Amino acid sequence: MAMAESTDLLPHEQPAPPRTDLWIAVVFFVFATAVAWQAFLMPTYSDQKGMLYTAPGLVPGFYGVVMLLLSIWLGYRAVRQGALHARTAAPPDGKAADVIDARLLSAAGVCLFFIIGLIGRVPFWLASAIFVTSFTGLFEWQPGQPWPQRTRRITEAALLGLATGISITLVFEKVFYVRLP
Amino acid sequence: MFDGWGQLGTAFIGFMTPHTLFNVLWATFLGIVIGALPGLTATMGVALLTTLTFSMPHTEAIMVLICIYVGAIYGGSRSAILLNIPGTPASAASTLDGYPLARQGLAGRAMGISTAGSWLGTLFGILCLALLTPVLSELALTFQSFEFFWIAVFGVVVAGTLAGGDPLKGYIAGFLGLWIATIGQEPYYNYQRYAFGFTDLAGGIGLLPALVGAYGVAEVLQAMRGPAIKAVASKIDSIVPRIEDVLKYWRTIFRSGAIGVWIGILPGLGEDAAAWSSYAAARRASKEKEKYGKGSIEGLMAAETGEASSVPGAIIPVLTLALPGSAPAAVLMAAMMIHGLNPGPNLMLESPQFFYQIIAMLVIADMSKLIFGFVLVRPLIKILLVPRERLMPVVFVLCVVGAFSITSRVFDIYVMLAFGAIGFVMRELKFNMAPLILGLVLGDLLEKNLTRGLVLSDGSLVPFFTRPVSAVLAALTIISVLWSIPAFSEGVRRLLRRQPTQSG
Repeated sequence: MAMAESTDLLPHEQPAPPRTDLWIAVVFFVFATAVAWQAFLMPTYSDQKGMLYTAPGLVPGFYGVVMLLLSIWLGYRAVRQGALHARTAAPPDGKAADVIDARLLSAAGVCLFFIIGLIGRVPFWLASAIFVTSFTGLFEWQPGQPWPQRTRRITEAALLGLATGISITLVFEKVFYVRLP
Repeated sequence: MFDGWGQLGTAFIGFMTPHTLFNVLWATFLGIVIGALPGLTATMGVALLTTLTFSMPHTEAIMVLICIYVGAIYGGSRSAILLNIPGTPASAASTLDGYPLARQGLAGRAMGISTAGSWLGTLFGILCLALLTPVLSELALTFQSFEFFWIAVFGVVVAGTLAGGDPLKGYIAGFLGLWIATIGQEPYYNYQRYAFGFTDLAGGIGLLPALVGAYGVAEVLQAMRGPAIKAVASKIDSIVPRIEDVLKYWRTIFRSGAIGVWIGILPGLGEDAAAWSSYAAARRASKEKEKYGKGSIEGLMAAETGEASSVPGAIIPVLTLALPGSAPAAVLMAAMMIHGLNPGPNLMLESPQFFYQIIAMLVIADMSKLIFGFVLVRPLIKILLVPRERLMPVVFVLCVVGAFSITSRVFDIYVMLAFGAIGFVMRELKFNMAPLILGLVLGDLLEKNLTRGLVLSDGSLVPFFTRPVSAVLAALTIISVLWSIPAFSEGVRRLLRRQPTQSG
């Protein structure tokens, strides 16, 4: 497209390595086969004078077959691009990548704790307050930070949590009439 | 004609109540803030607010969503200019010249150009919406199931081909979205597809929890993963747009406006493609090409006008064909459906006043954006500096409330979470999310029209290819797929390049 003429590509426009594409193709091949097979097993209702083209499995089966073909195409392309021969490149900065993954896992973990561990067990305002406090506190925690500064950060996180929990509950229940979990 | 003006006037007067204007102001402000904050996008904002405005009357809710949409697309340019980080993908093109201008001490002028370009772009888009929608609706009324089937397929395929990135992965994402839309009870026999005995799954995957997950949760994870954003201090000069900038580049404004509307109309492409294409076209036609990328006023104007005009452009196919032109427009369409409106060709017959209300909403949102463009400079800089460690948990809580609010099912929170994970992983694997969203939104339309068409033709596929409009749409879909095969597109380009030489 013309847009790529003078500028760098957007993040999602950067091509993935062929080896990654090959793995994606394998996963989608298995998934699409399962989708198509499940669709094939669905009843056709021919005993109730149902027509083949209104059979429940027809459309999802068609999607399954298309995804199957596309995954084969993706796999073939990845192999042609050298997926089977390409060496796995080491990340440019292993330590930085580890830090990024740790941040991601921490964020995902706290979010999961909020949904599975807090929602439905304690009132929503309290659940939100605990979640926001722990999320902010976790990410603002710095090793070696002086205690007065650390205490201030934790207090700010707790205040933000309480403010979020109470304001969201009040605004959405009283203004938008939205039911809260 | 006079009836139309009367209805438009009635729509404007109807919105001139303190309550509605209050909603307009907070929604536009919130939209600009959402757009300006890197990591939060227009789609996420519209999806989140769709769920939270669920209990409002439909005109108020759609007004809020349009203000969020218009505001967010504009707001993205603030962080693009001040931080060199696009607030939304749509503003990526604005960083190229906006940030160099800010570094030259012209941040205020850059924001003024952004405000003027965005305001004029949306106005141009609204004009096109007002003129094109009735014509397209009239045409679409002649369509039958065969044509609507192809419109849905065309939408998913074009989004895969042109939305950016790898077209092949775009198709996979599109068909994955279509498949997800089949989960739950099917329309003819109420057979539970892919439910595996789970009652919640038999009810189907809620569109909005899925959208909130794919955009909201995935973006929270994405934002927390990346390195911290460092703000760049910049002196703010006058933010009032200069008349000479507008007059000097009027050709660029019209060209970018037209490109933006056209790209907006094409299914699933969205504002980022509009901004990049407008920028590239302006650069090609410019007499001052050397300034591009170093702080070109024209370049910034083109990008801003293009992205802003694509907003009304993306709403045109929603109102006429039930085919969203961008990801936020897809959510807007879902919101219309939730509120009992019937987007598509019948909308003009069933509720013609709604068409005029949409025009009025867009104009009011655009005016509100202009006001905030002038008064929201310094407060926005402060908001931009809020650490994401404090912002993202609040966004996540809102996502949870949003996912739950439509049907009050805890299952929808899990759907949101699952789609958050899917959206995050797919982005990491370089998939574009627009085709997936389009597949989800268009799945129902595609299936119903395919089966209805087959019933009408007694199982024959011939009418799908022989009716004139169907044939054109089928040909365009096939060409679109072929075009994504490099050997084919390069061959055609070579052929086109050779022909003028031979004839000359």
